[in-house]
Amino acid sequence: MVQAISRRPDLSFLLWAAAIAVLAFLVLVPLGWLAWTSLQNPDTGSLTLDNYRVAFTKRIYLAPIANSLRMAFSVAVIAVLAGTPLAWLVARTDLPGRALLRPLILAAFVTPSFLGANAWIFLAAPNSGMLNQLWAALFHTEHGPADIYSLNGCIFVIALYSIPYTFSLVTGTLELMSSEMEDAATTLGSGTFRTTWAITLPLAMPAILSGFLLSFLEALELFGPPAFILIPAREQVMTTQLYLFFSQFPPQIEVAAAYAMPLLLVTVGLLLVQRRIIGRRRFTTVSGKGGVRRRMRLGRGRWPLAVVAFIPPLFAVVLPYGALLVVSLQQSWGRGPFAPGNLTLYWYRWAILDNPVTRTAIVHSLEYSAAAASVAVVLATLIAYLVVRALVPLGRVLGFVAMAPFVVPGIVLAIGFLAAYSRPPILLYGTAFILIAAYTTRFLPIAYSNGAAILQGINVDLENAARTLGAGRLHAMWAITLPLLRRGLLSGWLLVFIPALRELSASVFLFTPRTHVITTVMFDFSDAGNYEAVSTMGLLMMVVTFFVVLVAYRFLGRDVTRGAAQA
Amino acid sequence: MNRRDFLRWTGGSVALVSVGGVGGLLEACGGAPAGSGPSKPVEKDVSKLYALAKQDGSVTWWTAHYEQSAAETMAAAFKKKYPGIEVNLLRQTAQVINTRLNQELKAGGTECDVFCSTDEGHYPPLIKGGYLDQYTPPDLDLIPKDFQNLNPDGYYHLGAIGFNVINFRSDKVTTPPKQWKDLLDAQWSGKITTGHPGFSGYVGQWVTAMLRTYGDQYLKDLAKNKPKINRSVNDTVTDIVAGERQVGSGPDNFSLAKKASGSPIDIVFPTDGAVIVPGPVGILKASKRINAARLFTNFMYSKEYSEALVSTSNYPLRSDVSPATGVPTIDKVKYIRNTVDQLTKDLPDAIAKWRDIMGV
Repeated sequence: MVQAISRRPDLSFLLWAAAIAVLAFLVLVPLGWLAWTSLQNPDTGSLTLDNYRVAFTKRIYLAPIANSLRMAFSVAVIAVLAGTPLAWLVARTDLPGRALLRPLILAAFVTPSFLGANAWIFLAAPNSGMLNQLWAALFHTEHGPADIYSLNGCIFVIALYSIPYTFSLVTGTLELMSSEMEDAATTLGSGTFRTTWAITLPLAMPAILSGFLLSFLEALELFGPPAFILIPAREQVMTTQLYLFFSQFPPQIEVAAAYAMPLLLVTVGLLLVQRRIIGRRRFTTVSGKGGVRRRMRLGRGRWPLAVVAFIPPLFAVVLPYGALLVVSLQQSWGRGPFAPGNLTLYWYRWAILDNPVTRTAIVHSLEYSAAAASVAVVLATLIAYLVVRALVPLGRVLGFVAMAPFVVPGIVLAIGFLAAYSRPPILLYGTAFILIAAYTTRFLPIAYSNGAAILQGINVDLENAARTLGAGRLHAMWAITLPLLRRGLLSGWLLVFIPALRELSASVFLFTPRTHVITTVMFDFSDAGNYEAVSTMGLLMMVVTFFVVLVAYRFLGRDVTRGAAQA
Repeated sequence: MNRRDFLRWTGGSVALVSVGGVGGLLEACGGAPAGSGPSKPVEKDVSKLYALAKQDGSVTWWTAHYEQSAAETMAAAFKKKYPGIEVNLLRQTAQVINTRLNQELKAGGTECDVFCSTDEGHYPPLIKGGYLDQYTPPDLDLIPKDFQNLNPDGYYHLGAIGFNVINFRSDKVTTPPKQWKDLLDAQWSGKITTGHPGFSGYVGQWVTAMLRTYGDQYLKDLAKNKPKINRSVNDTVTDIVAGERQVGSGPDNFSLAKKASGSPIDIVFPTDGAVIVPGPVGILKASKRINAARLFTNFMYSKEYSEALVSTSNYPLRSDVSPATGVPTIDKVKYIRNTVDQLTKDLPDAIAKWRDIMGV
């Protein structure tokens, strides 16, 4: 790499050093503090294992761990069992309405599950839920059959919003797979069902497995739906228990840190398992090269199948958004939309015009998410450049560090940030920076994997040509690589912006009243049962999100979802 | 049971209140029409404080006293009386804002200027840490004497009063529970809603009082009736209005506000004693907007504030403002009160017991 002649002193190392320092600040320091805090005596600061003893011997702390694992496993199973056939139907068959299914599933994908959880409270609370009331009216029963306030209710809601992971990963694979192998099987006398079972499904296995693990991890680290659904149900999972460690006085940050450790270990472990399983087998058939892809004819079954296929988007999108809209348009939800004077735009006026808190929260959300997206993309691109171009020793370690936040649940990351940056020398708590830093860190892996993938596709010869002609490394990067990256950078930016906008689980610990964001305002309002306000804020947030997604689609096409699912 | 030792506020009785600065004697009379002739409490001239407060420009107010829209009403009334000073409002449950406040203080400073919890036990540690401003608002003496001197040293004062009562769905429940013990009856199984003492100050007060009065068995029996547990006490109102649950241990104010707006909800003051929740207000000593904070605190003894309280179905602090129709004056209410010491000492245990028995 040193053959290029530098006419000016190469100052690029400063840039690299800065990028590495920022990476350390965002990832290593908080996680280091987290581990250190878990070993500290809260009063004396001396080293102790007491926090672990407290966290893992009490019955009320152990039950949530079992619940978390049960919930994550169930969610992953449901998501895969629903997402895989759905993907196959959309990608490989002549299912009626498949063109409509895709945007609906994308809508489910960008809908935060805590908003879905709120909507499902309106739909399926045992007595007041709209669906239950409908049931009770139709069948003259006292109340309907569904009870959202249960562990199963929570599993159901999270699974609904997990299906898109498997769906987009599996469609991605199936769309690249040519029909030749399936044709071969058919020629040899295999029926449609058998071919799918014996040929298509195994080829899609890595995607299915990734979908399973993503759903599992997501369910394990989610805070919103359990907070909304499980506290009333008198059930706990690890994330709600972590929240309780915090919200009580005095907060038990040390015990919380200890309690968070297994969550971290489980996620790291699962990711390693995934790498192992997928890394060992090679599926070169899915090469992305040409080949004919034909849609399978479903015949007479196509209409019944279409009905079934629309059930997940109906539950994840149509009904929830309908419920949110109905609630947001009522002065007081419990009175019903037809009570005199109850149907109103009051809450929209309140959120947008009258209430300074909600107004600033909306502005904050946009600002912080945009800032985080910008920092994440710049940082990720620099790190990816270092790694892909092998400019520094141990580049792979850097790549690993940049990907590490992926396995850190939002709550755990927040605890790390609080431990690291709520005391001198670096006092970020109470400022916007701690939220921006947390968002940047949480979604850095998305930006990094996006950036690395694109950089790998740009031949280093282009830069070398420029450098041979006398350009410094920075100049070459600026003039050659960056323009080639532009489209990819934009998609990376959006892929960070969207999840940052709806981030709840870290925000809830890191915000202060001066740095309220949409999600924390919603969380505050929900705690006193202000559901009309919550619904309105949620819908406003989704209007912004869908607008951004539409813009993204305009520029980037379908890569948007795929990138997000892969990251 | 301590009752009537804290607040005595009779419709017709006259409390003589000395007015410090002016030196005169004014009559503060009860809100009920029966009476000993009109009296007109005169608010002090705070124009100097107002001018200084305007330079501060805003005040950051954290409160757990009442629910969101009531808090917004109070903030609006303040801005109307004192234009030019913005109110940054944060409403959260008592335990949550207290934890947040302490966390921020530990981290080197807080944005909060005026701190209103519903758990009086939050204040002694703050006083001990030297965080509170020792300040007596000039108009404090305009409220009944028994309302004054919540803290004899003047580190905090009374900012609101509420009660834990039994609230219920008025169109479905014909014979609501009359006392707290009635909630243990099997007929309410699956029909009860409560808040969580680990979040809500109101609920903390209630659980502390129940444990002291009836022992642990109360919670164990309550758990058998499978209550729905929310975070804030105000969520019980939502549950009842929405028809999710039928009876609750809830707040008087928000329940009555919903009743006033036409929702099928009503309250019963339990015969074994409603649990009173005096809402303290304290100013942070290190506040960068200390004048605005003081003006805001003094505002709580203005007529406008009491009127705003009544308009949101809260009890007024001033005796020249009548309570909302349909509620008994405070002296007619049989209530249980937790002392500061009891809250400081017993509430943490009460929360731990609740967690153990209820599972969350």
